[in-house]
Amino acid sequence: MTTTYGGYMGRILDINLTTQEVKEYPFSDRERELYIGGKTMAAKILADHLTGNETAFSEDNLLVVSTGPMTGSGAPSSSRFNISTLSPQTGYLTSSNCGGNFGYYLKKAGLDAIVLHGRSDTPVWLEISNGKVQFHAADDLWGMKTSETQATLDEKLKLPNGRVRKNGKICIGPAGENKVLYAGIVSNERVAGRGGTGAVLGWMNVKAVCASGNQEVKVIEKEKMINHTQKWFRYLRKHPLTGQQLPYMGTAGLVSSMQMRGLLSTRNYSAGQFDDFEKVSGERLAEEYNIVNKGCLTCPIRCARTVEVNGKHVKGPELETLVLLGSNLANNNLEAILRWNYELDELGMDTISTANTIAYAMEANEKGLWNNGLSFADTENLSAVFEKIAHREGIGDELAQGSKRLSEQYGGKDFAIHAKGMELAAYEPRKAAGLGLGYAVSNRGGCHLNGGYLVIVEGLGLYANPTTWHGKADLTMMFQNLMEMISASGQCLFTSYAMFPQLLLNHPNSWYARLVNTVIPYCGGVVRILNKFPQIAAIHLPVFHHTKAFEYVTGMKMPFGRYLRCGERGYNLEREVNRRFGVNAGKDALPKRLTDVLQDAADPTSKVPLAKLKKVYYRARGWDKNGLPTKRLLKKLEIEENSHV
Amino acid sequence: MYKVQLLGIVRLKTGVASLELDEKQVTTLHDLKGMLPGISRKEADDLLVLINGGKAKKHYRFKNGDTVVFLSPAGGG
Repeated sequence: MTTTYGGYMGRILDINLTTQEVKEYPFSDRERELYIGGKTMAAKILADHLTGNETAFSEDNLLVVSTGPMTGSGAPSSSRFNISTLSPQTGYLTSSNCGGNFGYYLKKAGLDAIVLHGRSDTPVWLEISNGKVQFHAADDLWGMKTSETQATLDEKLKLPNGRVRKNGKICIGPAGENKVLYAGIVSNERVAGRGGTGAVLGWMNVKAVCASGNQEVKVIEKEKMINHTQKWFRYLRKHPLTGQQLPYMGTAGLVSSMQMRGLLSTRNYSAGQFDDFEKVSGERLAEEYNIVNKGCLTCPIRCARTVEVNGKHVKGPELETLVLLGSNLANNNLEAILRWNYELDELGMDTISTANTIAYAMEANEKGLWNNGLSFADTENLSAVFEKIAHREGIGDELAQGSKRLSEQYGGKDFAIHAKGMELAAYEPRKAAGLGLGYAVSNRGGCHLNGGYLVIVEGLGLYANPTTWHGKADLTMMFQNLMEMISASGQCLFTSYAMFPQLLLNHPNSWYARLVNTVIPYCGGVVRILNKFPQIAAIHLPVFHHTKAFEYVTGMKMPFGRYLRCGERGYNLEREVNRRFGVNAGKDALPKRLTDVLQDAADPTSKVPLAKLKKVYYRARGWDKNGLPTKRLLKKLEIEENSHV
Repeated sequence: MYKVQLLGIVRLKTGVASLELDEKQVTTLHDLKGMLPGISRKEADDLLVLINGGKAKKHYRFKNGDTVVFLSPAGGG
């Protein structure tokens, strides 16, 4: 299988774990034009196979690990890869994006993606070298934590001269082996945490996959790409978000801003501010614990922190982990959070869902619904609880199901903070209506990024009236489409923040910044026109470097309007797959605490006006009243063949 | 007395986490912006300011017990 486009290696492997048979998965250039790569390519592959009768843990489920054409191209922050499968948490399609270096090395191995299906009789690990797959017994690795697994694999990959062959790895920890519903997949210190992809890999009896090789990514217009990339790097380094805030403080730097805007999830989302926020803030992390900044391959942003835990230098916590193991558990012990973050990565467990599930359990205990011994602020024994979850022992076996299932068993659905079964991220949405909408309609469940991350204009980067519903639905749609495409192309979503003009962020009190903040809620109509007629944006925006780079790498024409259309196609395709598993307007929901209870009793707008937002959102997307893409829309997006309408 | 908190990038730039000031000596927000350590008035003018959690007027006159926060726009994941 070959391709005329740059950026692609032109090969996808179909790996049957039951029979250990490996063959090429056909994917044409026409499909590359439509489905690009990453999560959208994976959605297409899943759409071609899933009928709606499968479960996450069934032999006809697939797990797709895919890269985008920009992965390994040398563009900024382009070492991303994606893992998609049917989620054991939500029962819908999930996609989890990860940094690290596996994507880069999968391309070095000559592949754009691998499609795993079936189930091995015994634990295995896969070695992929220059496109060839070898199955190895993994009995000795089974039970190991993630760093030990990766170190042991490096030993196995030693060359005769004693040096370790350069490789990228993904692996699961005990949580994946034991099918904890929110187990993730780890690559180096990075985690594809969300949606339970690790549980699916564990169910397949695959402990790890290693990729290596010496293939090169072809760039169609190399000279132009080098010049463009240099400019882009400089631009990112100068930008206040990608050049200052994220490198200086990482995502953790948001804790203080969230506190000030009432967005800091506290005590299981019962409040948006935490009295002790400074004790778990990014400032404190940077001043007292950060040893060095780290970044993925080719990333100038370098948002990762390195901290010391038990004498070892390990990855520091991201914002989500800080907040959800901090304020959301009423815990102000930062050192404990550093340790827990490390322990959860070692066990291969999503910190967001773990922490949220524990917060639910604490509140259920407090309310007398479930006597489980867990209490807010009393976090002495959480390490032991994590071990129990990962090994499904005692109370851990129950907690391993996540907050949705627990609330169905013990009650308290109003405060089980999830959407479609996946727990929400760290932002409390009652002071950011667009964010709340995004959580509810997100294809993979309670995710801020898949939800469009509108909070960036609702109080973090800009300050457009955060609680109004005006304009939010249209903007959510546009941001979702944009981020879908950035992700599909193999780049980090953080690069998109640089599209917010520096002038606005550097001078937030200026008349023009105030004007933009005022106007944003009234931009819905313009966004909708752009979405309907993307050809009017047949240009490259000076603040959005992705489109030109995409053209230089692949040779495909990709003006901004088409870029958005590709994202729209991807988002609708995922929704279309989810339709087969029963998604509809009723499933785009949030717990009542966020939609019916005011965060601030004195502010009647401090709840998510979800019903109104959804109505406008469905109209903006061209979906029917039941929240599903119409036949006409699918035809317009050229995905009607995947339709189950 | 009132409390001034510096958060985010401005705190890392100035190396100052917080200040306790006398409302009789540094009386208005305008005055305060001119005396923040390590940054110029121009830079201070480009910071977001919240007083007691709410928006701040340019010539706000401080009262005993006020909390003033300076921070910059942010974004992340």
